[in-house]
Parts: sequence; structure tokens; C-alpha cells
Amino acid sequence: MSKSVTKSSFRPETGKKDRVRWLFVMPAMLVVLCLLIYPLFSTSYYSFTDKTLISQSADFIGLENYINILSDPDFIRAFTTTLKWTFFSLIGQILVGFTGALALNKIKMAVPRTIYRICMIIPWAFPSIAIALVWDWMLNGIQGFIPALLVQLGLTDNMVQFLSDPNLVLPTLICINIWFGAPMIMVNVYASLQTVPQDQYEAAKIDGANALQSFAYITIPHIKVVVGLLVVLRTIWVFNNFDIIFMTTAGGPSGVSRTMPVYIYELGWTSRMVGRASAASILLLLFLVIISVLYFIVIARWEKEGK
Amino acid sequence: MKKIKFGNVISHFYLIILSICAVFPLAWLLITAFKNSSDMLNNPTRFLPTEWTLENFNTVLFGLKFTINIRNSLIIAVSTTLIAIIISSLAAYGIVRFFPKLGDMMTKVLVTTYMFPSIMLVIPYAMVMRMINLTNTRIGLVLVYLSFSVPYAVWMLVGFFKTVPIGIEEAGRIDGANKIQVFVRIVLPLVSPGIVSTAIYVFINAWNEYLYSMILMSSSDKTTISVAVKTLQAADIMDWGALMAACAIVVIPSIVFFCLIQNKLSGGLSEGAVK
Repeated sequence: MSKSVTKSSFRPETGKKDRVRWLFVMPAMLVVLCLLIYPLFSTSYYSFTDKTLISQSADFIGLENYINILSDPDFIRAFTTTLKWTFFSLIGQILVGFTGALALNKIKMAVPRTIYRICMIIPWAFPSIAIALVWDWMLNGIQGFIPALLVQLGLTDNMVQFLSDPNLVLPTLICINIWFGAPMIMVNVYASLQTVPQDQYEAAKIDGANALQSFAYITIPHIKVVVGLLVVLRTIWVFNNFDIIFMTTAGGPSGVSRTMPVYIYELGWTSRMVGRASAASILLLLFLVIISVLYFIVIARWEKEGK
Repeated sequence: MKKIKFGNVISHFYLIILSICAVFPLAWLLITAFKNSSDMLNNPTRFLPTEWTLENFNTVLFGLKFTINIRNSLIIAVSTTLIAIIISSLAAYGIVRFFPKLGDMMTKVLVTTYMFPSIMLVIPYAMVMRMINLTNTRIGLVLVYLSFSVPYAVWMLVGFFKTVPIGIEEAGRIDGANKIQVFVRIVLPLVSPGIVSTAIYVFINAWNEYLYSMILMSSSDKTTISVAVKTLQAADIMDWGALMAACAIVVIPSIVFFCLIQNKLSGGLSEGAVK
């Protein structure tokens, strides 16, 4: 290649014919297009057909799938279960993650700080299969550690059936999810706490502000955009999470812990009604879009305030 | 003289409790993996085994042929990582240098695709894979894994590429290197630490993945380790020792790698949002 490349063509804004730069972004765009955009349209299409897992072709049936789903009591139940699962998991994760980050921020000695940090992020590294199985084992109703310990301490008379008692299963799953998700909140909140300029605290101290006031007027405004974004991402993740529930209870006992993703899986792969499963997953996505838009309106308002 | 602050004592106390809660399941998993079945049955709350045994690992690795599934998982996770990193570093550099406006949209694009439920995506994946005969193949699964690794890797890498000063590149351009040469010889070495952490993160996610693998890989000799462990749970006789040994094999690489990159994990989000 000759030295035809001049400095001016290097600038991004020149608008000259510059094909090479497309080479850089093309493969990633192709991935997004084939693996994310196409499937979205494909699923939307299936949701209006009577497609099954085995059928080669499918007929257009209009809104029938949607009508069937919206009148299915199992769908309504799965939806409310998902709301409870997401809401309480998030509250718990934020509470534990946030207070953990604040406590960690107080520790000035480097060595204990690193030890705490590493210990506390371990749940985040857990593969979902290991989360499910280790908790299934610790909560096992015959020889599990936690029920056995409760009996030994005299707190309960019998082995508590955490994962098969209909009243306990959802709270138990939520606790597992808090255990898993709090570290991510903690690490990110801790990182953004570090970006708060220290001199503001000192100035506030001189002005006679107490710890609570500097927390409310310096810390919170400074980190709330990052925390807000984090909460959006966690909401989406928890809402869509399939693994933890599917692998511990598979939605049982008798559907008490069946969330939307598990419900959709059963429609598509147990009942083999792919069209109906598609419709349910589109509804799930729509709901998430609405929630996220609401979040982003709030975050955008915060960002404006900060400026 | 230093006085001990009350707040600090509470912080330490709280963090110690949190750390114990966080670590205990891992400890229990590992210890169970070395216990024999009579220990588990006779005294469920006894912490250390009366006698350490490797029998569980022996059962899992050789009796149940988990070595095949470990190999599958390794091949799939490593291929996913390599391909995703090549695609994503090209894209991240392209965004930072040539399409800065696209970079501003990045967070929105990421959040949007992040919203797509995997249970929704897996429906068309399963249909297309069957149409082009890629069901039950490693290639098929690697392709599918790019759907979640590429967007995230691009996002992480954009943060790292932003730190490369443009002056260095311009010097290279004056010396007659073209865009691709500049990228490979000058920019890549500068961001290699960032690339390594991103690669580790992609690897962990591919190694841990369950849903796609369960649906797309139907035969037990092709499937990944997560799915293989799950089938063990469904077996009639629950052998918890063997199950925990299998879990230990899955969880250990994740945790080791995770600790290596724990300092870098928060970078993307706070930098991306704060600018």
C-alpha cells in the first residue's frame, strides 16, 4: 500500500470516502443484527402464528396467542410472582450492597479492605448451576446444614422444608438471589463512592454538617446516577432470570415459584407451543421496556439536576 | 493518640458478618466434596469431614465421564472468548476513533439488547439452528454465546480504548502505517491489560451459561458442564458428595479468574455513566 493515507483522512469528521473504518465496526454490527435484532423480529412473527416445536410451517392466527395467554390464570400468577421476586430481590440487594459499600468505604486499612472485598464478591462469581445446587444442598430437608442447625439450636422442632413448603419457597429463593446479587451492587457503589471529592466532606465538616447531612447532601447526589443505572440493569436481570429458579425448584411446588421465564419455557418446551411461548416472551419484553423507560426518565432528570 | 472510632468497629463487625455469609456456601460446597456419605447422613452440621476422601471426584470425573463435558465447556468457552474479543476490540476501537457519536449511544444500545430475555432469544435460535443443522454442535453454541458476550465486551473495551492518547497514533500514521497497522501494532499493546480482563469476564460467562446449552445441546457427550451437573441432580439417587464435587469443578475456575479481575469490574459502569 502506498502512502496515500494523509493526516486529514485520519480525522473522524472528514466525511471523505473512508471504507476501512467500517471494517472495524462491521463484525460487531453483524452480531447484533443476526443474534439480537433478527431474533426479536422472528419471535414477534411466531407470536402471531400457531408454530409448534415440531411443525415445519406455521399458520397466521392473529392475536389468538395473546388472548389465550392473557386469559390464562397461570400467566397472571406467573406475572405477579415475577413482580414479587424482582421487587423484594432488588430491595434486598440494594440494602445489603449499599450498606456493605458504605461500611467498606469506612475501612482505611488496605489489607482488611481487600480481604473483605474479595470475600464479599465470591457469590458473584458463582455459576448459576452451583448457586442452585449448593443452596439446594444446604437447605435440603433431610440432611441440609441450615435446617439441621435450626433444629440443633432448638429454634425449630422439625427440619424446615425451605424449598418445598409453598409458603417458604419464594422468600427462600429471594434470599438466595440477594446473596448472589448484592456483591455487584456493592462493588459498583463502592467504586462510585471513591469518586466523591474528599474536599467537599472537609468543607462540610468546617461548616458544621454532621455525618448524616454530608451523606444526604454530598454522597447521595454524587452517586445517584450510577446507582440508578445499576438498579435498571439489576431489575432487568432479575426479571429475566431463568436459571436460579428453574434449577432449584423448577417453579414448584405446584407453580408457587413459577416466574415468567419458567412459564415461557414450559409453554415452549414442555407443551411445545412455540407460538404461544413467543407471545408470552414479547409481553415480558414489552413490560421491561416500559419499566426501563420510566427509570430512564427519572435518571435523566437526576442528570439534569447535577449539571 | 489515636482513638478507636465507634463507627469503624461497627463497620468491621458488619463486614465480617457479610463476608461469612458470602463465603460460607463456597466453603460448605468444597468441604462436602471431600466427605463420605456416612458423614453427611449421621451429622449434617458437622463442619469438617471425619475422614477426607477423593472418592467423590473419582466418581464424577471417571465414573460419570465428566472429563468429556469439561473438555466441551473449555472448547466452547475459549472459542467464544477468542472470537468475541477479536470482534469487540475492533468495534470498540472503531467506535472510539471513527464513530464517536455511536459511542454516546452505546449505553442505550447495551441496555436495550440487555433487556431481551434469553428465554425469548432462545426460541428463534433453536429454530434457526435446526434449519441450518447446527443443533447439537459446538459451533452453533459458540455463535449463540456471541449474542451476550459481544455487546458487553464492546462496552467494557470502549472504556479502555478511550485511555489511548491520539497523539501516539498520529505519530504512527505519519510514519506511514495504515489504520489496521496502527491498531495492531500501537493501540492493542497499550490496552492489553484491559483486553485480558474483558476476556476473562467473557470466559466466565460462557463457562457458566446454562439455558442455551440445555436447549441447543441434546446429547450428553456434546453438552457443557453446567448441563451435565444438572442431569446428575435429576438422577434417582441423589449423591450429594458427587454433586458437590462436580460443582467444585465448575465453580473453582470462575472464582479464581474473578478474583484476578475484581479490581477492574466496576470500571465500565461508573466511567460509562459519569463520563
